[in-house]
Amino acid sequence: MDKYNLFEKILLYSGILLFMTFILLPFVEMFYASLRPLDHLFRSPYQFFSDDLSFWAYGEMWNTVPMLGRYIFNSFYLASCVTIITILFVIPAAYSYARFNFPGKNSSLYLLLAINMFSGAVLLIPLYKLLRTLGLLNSYQAMIVPGVAFLIPTSIWLLKSYFEKIPIDLEEAAFVDGASRLQILRHIITPLSTPGLIVVSLYIFIGAYAQQFLFAITFNSKKEYMPIPAGLYEFIGYQTIKWNEMMAASLVGIAPVLIIFIFLQKYLVEGLTAGAVKN
Amino acid sequence: MNTRFKSFNSPTVLAYALIAPAAIYILAIVAWPLVETIRLSFTNSSLAGEDYIGLENYEKMLGSKKFNKIVIRTFIWMFLSVSLKLIVGLIGAVLLNAKLPGRGMFRVLIMPPWVVPIAIGMLGWLWLYNGYFGIIAGVGMKTGILDGPFGFLAYKQSAFISTIIADVWVGTPMVTIFFLAAMQGVPKDLYEAAYCDGASRWHRFFKITLPQITPVIITMALLSAIWTFNSFEIIWILTEGGPRGATTTLIIDTYKMALGNYKFGKGAARAVVVMILLTIFAAFYMAILLKINKKVSSG
Amino acid sequence: MILKHFSRVISLLLISLFSTSSFAATDVHGVMCGGEIREADMTVINKYMADNPDVNITMEAVPWGTCQDKVINLAIAGDPVSFSYIGSRTLKGLAENGHIVPVNIPESMTSMYQPGILDTVTHLGQQWGFPHAFSTKALFMNCDILAEAGLACEGPQSWDELYSMAETIQNKTGIAGIGLAGKDFDNTMHQFLNYLYSNGGQVIDPATNDITLNSPNTVETLEFYAKLANVSQEGPLAWERSQLTELFNDKKIAMYINGPWGAGQHGEINQKTVRIPAGPNGSQGTLLITDSVAVFNGTGHEDIAMDVVASLTSGDAQYDLDTSWGLTPIMQYPQIGKVAPYNTDYWMMFIDAIADGGPEPLLVDYKAFQTVMNSMIQGAILGEGDAADLVAEAAEELEEYK
Repeated sequence: MDKYNLFEKILLYSGILLFMTFILLPFVEMFYASLRPLDHLFRSPYQFFSDDLSFWAYGEMWNTVPMLGRYIFNSFYLASCVTIITILFVIPAAYSYARFNFPGKNSSLYLLLAINMFSGAVLLIPLYKLLRTLGLLNSYQAMIVPGVAFLIPTSIWLLKSYFEKIPIDLEEAAFVDGASRLQILRHIITPLSTPGLIVVSLYIFIGAYAQQFLFAITFNSKKEYMPIPAGLYEFIGYQTIKWNEMMAASLVGIAPVLIIFIFLQKYLVEGLTAGAVKN
Repeated sequence: MNTRFKSFNSPTVLAYALIAPAAIYILAIVAWPLVETIRLSFTNSSLAGEDYIGLENYEKMLGSKKFNKIVIRTFIWMFLSVSLKLIVGLIGAVLLNAKLPGRGMFRVLIMPPWVVPIAIGMLGWLWLYNGYFGIIAGVGMKTGILDGPFGFLAYKQSAFISTIIADVWVGTPMVTIFFLAAMQGVPKDLYEAAYCDGASRWHRFFKITLPQITPVIITMALLSAIWTFNSFEIIWILTEGGPRGATTTLIIDTYKMALGNYKFGKGAARAVVVMILLTIFAAFYMAILLKINKKVSSG
Repeated sequence: MILKHFSRVISLLLISLFSTSSFAATDVHGVMCGGEIREADMTVINKYMADNPDVNITMEAVPWGTCQDKVINLAIAGDPVSFSYIGSRTLKGLAENGHIVPVNIPESMTSMYQPGILDTVTHLGQQWGFPHAFSTKALFMNCDILAEAGLACEGPQSWDELYSMAETIQNKTGIAGIGLAGKDFDNTMHQFLNYLYSNGGQVIDPATNDITLNSPNTVETLEFYAKLANVSQEGPLAWERSQLTELFNDKKIAMYINGPWGAGQHGEINQKTVRIPAGPNGSQGTLLITDSVAVFNGTGHEDIAMDVVASLTSGDAQYDLDTSWGLTPIMQYPQIGKVAPYNTDYWMMFIDAIADGGPEPLLVDYKAFQTVMNSMIQGAILGEGDAADLVAEAAEELEEYK
């Protein structure tokens, strides 16, 4: 197909540069704050270089919050569990909504959405009582179980839209050939919707990462199970906030997820569907 | 030949069976808290215990002039934020979809706002918007656009816009990635056929890409609107609803007047009102979006 | 079949084994705010457990910012902890709603408190928490900047002097004279109250529970506070006190009000601390803020909890907290022979102010109280109304939250 001419290339790269600047600007501010000493964190007007920059905070943060490594692991572990469990529930449900018509289809779809219309803060106390009755407090489950419940509705919506894009004739052809629906789901739909699946899994993973805080604070008292966001609060003292260490810890904390995405984004390549037509 | 052949789209027990696990899970966990919240909205539940007061919470809320102002402000805030997210997200997806060297790295680099805890991201913006210490003010002063420090969060209109931009920052990466994934799913042969027919890039984008990813756009629009409506931490950390209420959206007001003071009855009533508002809004929204969808796919 | 019975019997035995052992012990669950429980506290806890073998105390450290909400949520859900560190501003609301119990503070402790401390935890004639952390405020000045503006590094003796000093600094050096907090945050209200209490004003009368905010003193204070915006850093409505510390450290403001921990935060600044100046109708005052340890209702062992808390908030344990956190001493430590480190000029600024200070107002709905006050202050700074009207409006709104 046509290649980009020089003008188009310049336009595209400028656009990307602008976009990247917007996205990364706060991180620049945060990164510099993590490099400065606590008694002179900020300068006016803004300076990129000063003579007291150092990576001291990156070392000190492990002393201030000794369990930081554990928290990073917990965040990862919790989000992974939530993702795996959620995706298992969501794939069949999303497929059903994408392909079938049945009584109650639309109303149940909107009902699902209604769940997300309630901010988590409102449901906190009733949820606490429920988890207490189920005996799930103060454990990993305390954070996983509600997390899954709140991520299922939107995940169904999102995955459904990707399933809807897959041409229905592929499935009908296979059906006529004698394949059962479950076989179709496994061998045709899942591979073809890989970009969508990856993206929705990522969405769930990150969503779990984000929700962790509220659930962790309220439903869990054991430090060993706490995720990063809760751990970051330990940089807040009675009247002082160790900004530099907190920023350092935040940046380090998101590194694992970014590393995963480096691998995953290779799957966001086009042409997966092209092969299917030949089948 | 399959003698039990049914039309491919007819309702079957299978449809329900596939949904059942998810539905049961949700019901088990969320049903009771939701019902309880609705029940609480008819009480004056607070630190002091509770009594049933019927519709009093609702009457007080809906009757106050302040409340109406807040609702309108919330919708405006939400509309601006979601529109920007969709537009910037679409542009971003196009940029990252282009076959240029380095795109793998760029795709990873747009992830941080989505991954970092919102509170931390907002602390970043807080200092960014700072009139003295922020990069924005710094660049403004160096280039002469500003003749002195300017606190973006210190004045009503600028605070309103600033919080919107911060919200767009949080939501755009996800929208971009979802649009990007959708674009990746568009069959290559469609483009090749159009190219052979002499179609320009713009033509290919508007006639092929956009229609193909429309289901995803619609879903993102709706979900984004719902999340944005309840967007709490972003505004809270930047302004706590100030200055003087300029950035007080419904969720901020709910927190200040109810949840923060443990007035669960009031808080529950507000949550129910939010849900009703969002449902009505979603119904209209979907109707309009589906009309657009019909137009795009038939055009 | 037999196996099923067997395992059932074993589990019954195990259950009874564990339940009989728990009958004898009392399980106390205490919460402190912060990253971890302090050593001095653990010493007290361990000693108590050694002296009382049938009491088992578990201490939990909950990070700042989430600590208070968590224990209150637990109390509401019916699962109260035995005792917890909590802001004294919450005591009235919790007391009125029966979530905490009135505490009996031993005479040995009450006689040692600084004047006014007990007022911060008293409601309806009873104490509702053991005061545990205390702060007062003073004015910090950067002597270098004052010298640059040709001013002597001496504290202002009146509001007019404060204003003219700030103005001179602004005109002569271009640096903002004073740091002004205006963000919708709790310490904006606190900053304002420092001035209010230096001008003979009051928010609520603890004896009668009347809102006394609407007075000429308040109007005068509000007008002054708004006037300070002329000589303060730009855009006060975006600043709260901890951010002002950063400005001070970057030498962009010459003065601001902060607590005793400030000296440690300012690094190499050539600083001097002075009393907050008196307004036209008052004397040099300050704001007394305490945090306490409250004992929750419904645990069944409230008296044991009170015993433990009394040990935690007195003597060596309390002294250790005050010195390690850099707080204004909550007790008159010379009474137990501890003079250092409070016998310096620096500390005198914070300690002398106590007698003239006023307590943080206690209202049932303190969050709404804060919102109303901040709205009033912001309105004045933005010029959205006449000070007298703003004060009257605020006073009226507070009636609902007292």
